[in-house]
Amino acid sequence: MKVPNILKKTVPVAVGLVVLGYLTLYFVINQTPQWIPENLTRLARQADLLENPEAKRCFECHKEIYAAWKKSRHAIAWVSETYIEDSENRSKEKCLPCHIPRQVKNGEKPQPRLDHRDDGIYCVPCHVIDGKMHGPYDLFSPPHPTQKNLQYRESKFCGSCHEKTFEEWKIAGVEDTCQSCHMARTESRLVQKPVLSWLHSKKQVGDHSFPHGEITQEDLAVTGEISGKEFIVTLLNQKIPHRVPTADNGDPRLYLYVRFLDDSGQEVDRFKEILAPQQDTALLYGKEARFQYPLTAPVRKVEISLQYKPAWSKDKSEWRQLSYPVTGDSG
Amino acid sequence: MRTSLINSLLFTLMLFLIPLQLQAKDMVVKAPPESLGKYYPPESKEPKWIQQMHKMSGNLGGVFVNLREKDWDNLDKNADQFVESYKEASEMVPEWEEYFDLKAAKEFAAAAKTHDGEKIGKAVGAVGKTCGKCHADNSISVWTRFHWPSFHKIKITDPIEEKELDFGKYMGLLSGTFKGVTVNFKEGQYDRSQKALRAFKSRFMELKSTCSKCHTTDDVKLFYVGENVAQAFDGLQKELTAEKPNPGNFWKNVGILGKQGCKNCHLTHRSYAMIQERWEEK
Ligand code: HEC
Ligand code: HEC
Ligand code: HEC
Repeated sequence: MKVPNILKKTVPVAVGLVVLGYLTLYFVINQTPQWIPENLTRLARQADLLENPEAKRCFECHKEIYAAWKKSRHAIAWVSETYIEDSENRSKEKCLPCHIPRQVKNGEKPQPRLDHRDDGIYCVPCHVIDGKMHGPYDLFSPPHPTQKNLQYRESKFCGSCHEKTFEEWKIAGVEDTCQSCHMARTESRLVQKPVLSWLHSKKQVGDHSFPHGEITQEDLAVTGEISGKEFIVTLLNQKIPHRVPTADNGDPRLYLYVRFLDDSGQEVDRFKEILAPQQDTALLYGKEARFQYPLTAPVRKVEISLQYKPAWSKDKSEWRQLSYPVTGDSG
Repeated sequence: MRTSLINSLLFTLMLFLIPLQLQAKDMVVKAPPESLGKYYPPESKEPKWIQQMHKMSGNLGGVFVNLREKDWDNLDKNADQFVESYKEASEMVPEWEEYFDLKAAKEFAAAAKTHDGEKIGKAVGAVGKTCGKCHADNSISVWTRFHWPSFHKIKITDPIEEKELDFGKYMGLLSGTFKGVTVNFKEGQYDRSQKALRAFKSRFMELKSTCSKCHTTDDVKLFYVGENVAQAFDGLQKELTAEKPNPGNFWKNVGILGKQGCKNCHLTHRSYAMIQERWEEK
């Protein structure tokens, strides 16, 4: 097929113009959004976004963040079985502020809200302040006005509700914030809806599933040793800058089981420790917890097991098992 | 907001000055009427009954604040609004309709509008009495029903057997373990007493996990499960491992546990649990 001469000339020019236009727009939107006239942006505003919409409404653009949040405990703060049971069918007054906050402000205990309670702790109470969408970035966002606010990267923000954990973190005196571990950032887009998703550069986006974190062997050192007529277990939280486990009102626990066995593997004695924030026994950052047990005659082996129970479950899971032979005449 | 708070305070003070004529000397703590439930969580999103009380007492107290300030416009407004909010309240709980005296409320408003302090003071007595009578009859019931969480819905996992028990059952278990410590001591069986003490301490300390089911601050744990009690446990442990246990020290520490650990917590918490239990029976 023969391409007419006229097309041969205009197509590359048109393509060139489109590419140039796109690049210019991309540059302006991401680098100098202040060049875009206010009036123009205002035309694209969707007023309902600032009138406490449901989380689903935010999902229309912020698909990835929504999907992450949906996996979080925050998303089920009002509907989880544990919550309903512990709050006496949601009637305990003390639970309401943090399970259905109206607005989370840096370090202030929120008030309970009246609408969209099933969404629990969701986008609106954390991000809408005084008619603007607050977050860690200054950016061009036609549907709603935005406001850069670096409080979103401070532990104090989380401390509005996680008050006790926040105090523990302050005592730990480390640089890492709550967000460093529980909202780790990855390079991604804030929006997954064209055309904005084509026009916005990638950013560092925090993980809105607020991962709980797995305790590793490096985080928590466990040692057992025989000392004279005693067996001593030491636990040291060396990496996690708050108590392990930690909670304000929930009851997560680490169980330490120590079993003394004889030659034939029969149990001679057993001990148990409950490491729980509600009992003031959870492991403080950088502080060794020492447990001493009397070693009696026929003991040939000591088995240690550490099991973890999260606040929202009645089931424990094995975290670590260790075993120590008892030789010579120490027993 | 501030003035309405001051008004409420003023008025609450005033209520104490109105002599109450209680007919009977016995006090009956009846469960509050069913229909009141509509105005409290979980049925209502907000504590609507309390909100109505604040509205009413704000208007009533407002009349007296306005009187002192000679702010006649607002005084008239508060007087009218009082009649309105009082009437609204009287329609909320049918079972309580009788407590209200709309005529007295209207007469009070009429007196208020004369702006004559003496007349107002006289007229408030009749309507104030209706507030006082209902409060005297029903406050304890309402607090017990709507502000006291239920111990009967709390489950405790026994740290020894790792079985989940109702709060009351757990108390029975705790009390039995405590007796294991004291009875064995009395019999001179110190080894057994010591073994029981180990279980008793861990069962007792497990109670610390229950406070946060109703309280938000850790400060409350200074009581019943705090330092004094921990020291008493240490004291018992010391006697039981001593060459020759000293009964004086032993019983002193048992006394501290029984008083500061068990009894004091019962005195603050159990009355309400007992009332709730009665209501749950039927
Ligand atoms: C029919 C019963 C009834 C009448 C009449 C009544 N009240 Fe009350 N009021 C209550 C009850 C019940 C409470 C406790 C509510 C609670 O704590 O949930 C209460 C509580 C209050 C409170 C305290 C609210 C709080 O924050 O704890 C105030 C103030 C008050 N009433 C004012 C008044 C005034 C003023 C009147 C009369 C003009 C009045 N009430 C008449 C039943 C009544
Ligand atoms: C079923 C609910 C419930 C549980 C469980 C409970 N409390 Fe309370 N407690 C209350 C209520 C309600 C009050 C009345 C005042 C209030 O709300 O603080 C109260 C009052 C108190 C008070 C009086 C002073 C104050 O601060 O209010 C102390 C001290 C206290 N509790 C300590 C404890 C301790 C310690 C525990 C755990 C060992 C505990 N409570 C468990 C419901 C509970
Ligand atoms: C957290 C406060 C608290 C502490 C501490 C506490 N109790 Fe109780 N106890 C209660 C409450 C509340 C009830 C009522 C439970 C119910 O009605 O189901 C109760 C009930 C009891 C009962 C009656 C159980 C039944 O059959 O219903 C006994 C016995 C008892 N407690 C013994 C003790 C002893 C012994 C101690 C101290 C070693 C102790 N309690 C410490 C709060 C406490």
